[in-house]
Amino acid sequence: MTYRNRLVRPAFLVAAVALSITASAQCRSFAKNKCVPELAPYKFNETFNAAQLAPGEEAEVSLTFYSGQDYRVMVCTHPILGEVNWKLVDENNKVIFESLADEPKHHFDLKAANTVPMKVVVWVPNKGSGAMVHVGCVAIMVGFKE
Amino acid sequence: MNFMCKHSWPVAVLVAASLVGCGSEPAAQDQLNVDATVDSTKAERLATTKKIFYNIPSPMETAALLKKAGAEYNSKILNDVKNVDRYTAASQQALNLGVYGADLSYASVFNHTQESMFYTSCSRKLADRLGVTSAFNDSTLELMQSKMNDRAALLDIISETYWDVDAYLKDNGRDNISALMIAGGWVEGLYIATQVSASNDTPELRQRIAEQKHSLGDLVGLIGAYQAEDARLEGVKTDLAGLQALFAQVAMPAPGATVTQENGTAVIGGNSPAATLTDEQLKSIREKTATIRNSYIN
Repeated sequence: MTYRNRLVRPAFLVAAVALSITASAQCRSFAKNKCVPELAPYKFNETFNAAQLAPGEEAEVSLTFYSGQDYRVMVCTHPILGEVNWKLVDENNKVIFESLADEPKHHFDLKAANTVPMKVVVWVPNKGSGAMVHVGCVAIMVGFKE
Repeated sequence: MNFMCKHSWPVAVLVAASLVGCGSEPAAQDQLNVDATVDSTKAERLATTKKIFYNIPSPMETAALLKKAGAEYNSKILNDVKNVDRYTAASQQALNLGVYGADLSYASVFNHTQESMFYTSCSRKLADRLGVTSAFNDSTLELMQSKMNDRAALLDIISETYWDVDAYLKDNGRDNISALMIAGGWVEGLYIATQVSASNDTPELRQRIAEQKHSLGDLVGLIGAYQAEDARLEGVKTDLAGLQALFAQVAMPAPGATVTQENGTAVIGGNSPAATLTDEQLKSIREKTATIRNSYIN
């Protein structure tokens, strides 16, 4: 390994970690300022589920809806990423709700008659082959009525 | 090495330094842009990665469920505020930040404002020792003090503070500390529910305790995602596995959900009656939970 490589590689690692932390902090700020207010009148459930995603990437949240409760499930995406696809599926992977990028719905309100475990799956559509790959924050939020 | 490769490293370092050096406040959200230097190649980015999260009910959500299930308030079962100074290791502080956070939510949801302030003070102390002062500081305490008689506002501040602490820890690469805090809060919530059921046993409360089987599965997934960096995290994994063995005996409704519409809102239903616990199951879960929780607070 050359002297330059010995210096440059650790520096790149530091830079990558620093960028990752900064991007994550921006994601938190975005989720708090833009997404949480959109949950109203539901009370957000205090859990921070957000990630930087790129086209082709996927995120999944496992959660439980408790009987007798009203919920809002919301997928909030930074505009730079564009619209994303997302769905709510039950334990058998049956689709309960789906929103596709060409006809997006940003939230789904539901009342749980029974307690049911579910998953929210988000996937970012791929763009054309020549398009620049954009990374953006996707927050998956859940609100409930007290 | 081509020209781009030669020059992209210093650029990346420069960009990182300038971003981090801007101060502790995150940049405005609309500056959240792509940096082409990070997206090394499109092919790499497109190699699909799935990010998996586990949504554990927050202390506030759990306390609200308990109240709806007819639980009563019992201050004697909560962690003593005097214990706060005993927690010196970061992992112990994180677990007990979760414990005090759950006690705080329980006291607040049941409108015991004075006790809420004591638990806020304990939580703040632990958050301070964990270095989370930007998310939970004196101004948070002052704001809570000013809203003491406005229950809804107080609950909102507590929720927001919990979210800020969790997000701060995750943002700063301390996900394992966040996971311990969440685990401590969940165990304390189960402890409160099972202790309350000893004197105030209702079918609704038993159902809520039985249903924690789902959340326990998610919590095990969350904790399991981290490499054990200390004995405490490994210990929590073992504790949760012990609880899972007891919950494995609890019969749950058949998986699957149905959807109907009611006044324009989707109603999600299951295929079977609600879960419940036998006396023996409740007793064994109560005892195991108490053993685990007491090992965290002592």
